[in-house]
Amino acid sequence: MLIKRRYGWEIPEHKVTPEALFLNRRTVLSGLAGAALTGIAGPARAEGDPSQGLYPAPVNPAYKDAGRAVTDEKYNTNYNNFYEFGTSKGIAAEAENLKIRPWEIAVDGEVDKPFVIGIDDLLKKVTLEERVYRHRCVEAWSMVVPWTGFPLKKLVELASPTADAKYVRFETFNNPEMASGQQPGLFGTMPWPYVEGLTMAEAMHDLTFVVTGAYGKPVAKSMGAPIRIHMPWKYGFKSIKSIIKVSFVKERPIGFWEQLQSSEYGFWANVNPQVPHPRWSQASEQVLGTGERIDTQLYNGYGEFVASLYQGLENEKLYM
Amino acid sequence: MQIRTLLSPWTDRAGRFSFLKTTVFVLVLLPALYYAVKLGQNDLGPLPYKEALHRIGDWTVRFLVVTLALTPLQRILMWPKLAVIRRMLGVTAFTYALIHFSLYVVNEKLDLVFVATEIVKRVYLTIGFTALIGLSLLAATSTDAALRKLGRNWKRLHMIVYGIAVLALLHYFMQSKIDVSQATLWSGFFLLLMIYRLAVKWRLALTPLTLAGCAVAAGLATALIEFAWYGIATGVDPVRVLKANLAFAYGLRPAWIVLIVGLIAALLPWIKPVYAAATTRLSPARNAATR
Repeated sequence: MLIKRRYGWEIPEHKVTPEALFLNRRTVLSGLAGAALTGIAGPARAEGDPSQGLYPAPVNPAYKDAGRAVTDEKYNTNYNNFYEFGTSKGIAAEAENLKIRPWEIAVDGEVDKPFVIGIDDLLKKVTLEERVYRHRCVEAWSMVVPWTGFPLKKLVELASPTADAKYVRFETFNNPEMASGQQPGLFGTMPWPYVEGLTMAEAMHDLTFVVTGAYGKPVAKSMGAPIRIHMPWKYGFKSIKSIIKVSFVKERPIGFWEQLQSSEYGFWANVNPQVPHPRWSQASEQVLGTGERIDTQLYNGYGEFVASLYQGLENEKLYM
Repeated sequence: MQIRTLLSPWTDRAGRFSFLKTTVFVLVLLPALYYAVKLGQNDLGPLPYKEALHRIGDWTVRFLVVTLALTPLQRILMWPKLAVIRRMLGVTAFTYALIHFSLYVVNEKLDLVFVATEIVKRVYLTIGFTALIGLSLLAATSTDAALRKLGRNWKRLHMIVYGIAVLALLHYFMQSKIDVSQATLWSGFFLLLMIYRLAVKWRLALTPLTLAGCAVAAGLATALIEFAWYGIATGVDPVRVLKANLAFAYGLRPAWIVLIVGLIAALLPWIKPVYAAATTRLSPARNAATR
């Protein structure tokens, strides 16, 4: 038992962390230490993220290994669906316009007492941990990411929803001055802000993760800084980025993509290789940066943990 | 009949070096070369084959539409010599379509059974594949021998290019996610070219005024296509899409680009005589020889 646990702690550090990143952590840390000593921060970090010191967080041994190699950071910070900043995958430069401080999150709806909390105050109330999750996009590609964050159920506990709360509805910013994709013109016609939702049972599930970091540092702007969700058993569009509002509601929320194309994107969107997207097969997925194509697994391989959530819901379109 | 057996991409039918043909030949090779080099350098992002297949697909549609632009341009410019590049451009469109399809097969790990089932199951792939079959028919009958053999039927057969273009554009729309700007733009150009043909059929003289009218009609039709697509295929409010055409500060929408290109084309009949006069003055002998 002891041996197994120790083995578990040793392996992930080496196996799941690319060497370049491991070195980078030290660079970041030493940079911070230097800044602290001299009393001034380095130019690049000066207006940066005050939460830098919280990373890297300890790895949760239960999620230390996703069974596949971690995707090279350069790929998943430069290959994003973040329509607020444009419709191509290459929005990383544009997403640098995202202002992540000050950042407030409103918690409202069916709760004892609605409140607004700053991201850094929220980070003080939670314990960050690192989890390596597989991510499956509805576009039939996938990646493996070492996220840092905390289970959504912590936030639900802080919010203290009433018995009337049946769903959690998340909302991303709507700020055309900051996000070129939200400006007037064609993309101003989209139903902004981006909205996504999940059931209370899904929200309380241990796998449902609030992400504030990735690769041992604050999460990149292109990946939805400073706070986003990740649910590894659902298609990626369910995992909303850059959240400013968390509402506990009675009615099932209608997500951004569901509004745009309800015949293609639904509320549940659980990964299932047997159920094709109306326009393409979901049987396999391309792993970013590897040239590999692998078979897709039911619930993205997390079925043993989440399948029970959907018992009795067989009449729902669980996989779209 | 004196038909040369060997027609190189740099000579005209009389076997003389053609600057126009050579230039076009080099130009049509460039996009394919660019993506070949990028693929070789592994510089197309985390899914390089998927990226290359999409970009070559873009070029396929562009070459197909440009091919269809030659006949109207010949008339507008009164420049029959333009015909020397038409076949080359048509064959280019087919070649790009074939590369596009091959990249799809490579991206699916050469799993031909899977590719075949997908083509049958997914409507947009069925449409795209039908267009490819059509283009291969046209490419296979693009030789002088086929032209002679088919006689009058050759022209009839090659009329299917219009249907192929419609299929290709539909495939372009259907594979897009919510952003159909490129598909709209190239459909707009296609419509402009079809409106020119309609004008010719109605025996209208292609004066700058007629051409400007064609440009306005094509611009409006482009806006209408975009409006219809969003209204029918998406949950976006199509009225807002229509209004977005007026948000000039955030980039020109396809309808305006089609209108502007059409208006520039409307100026060509004026520019051509000036240009012709200038070249005649500069090299009267050469000009006489080409007539």
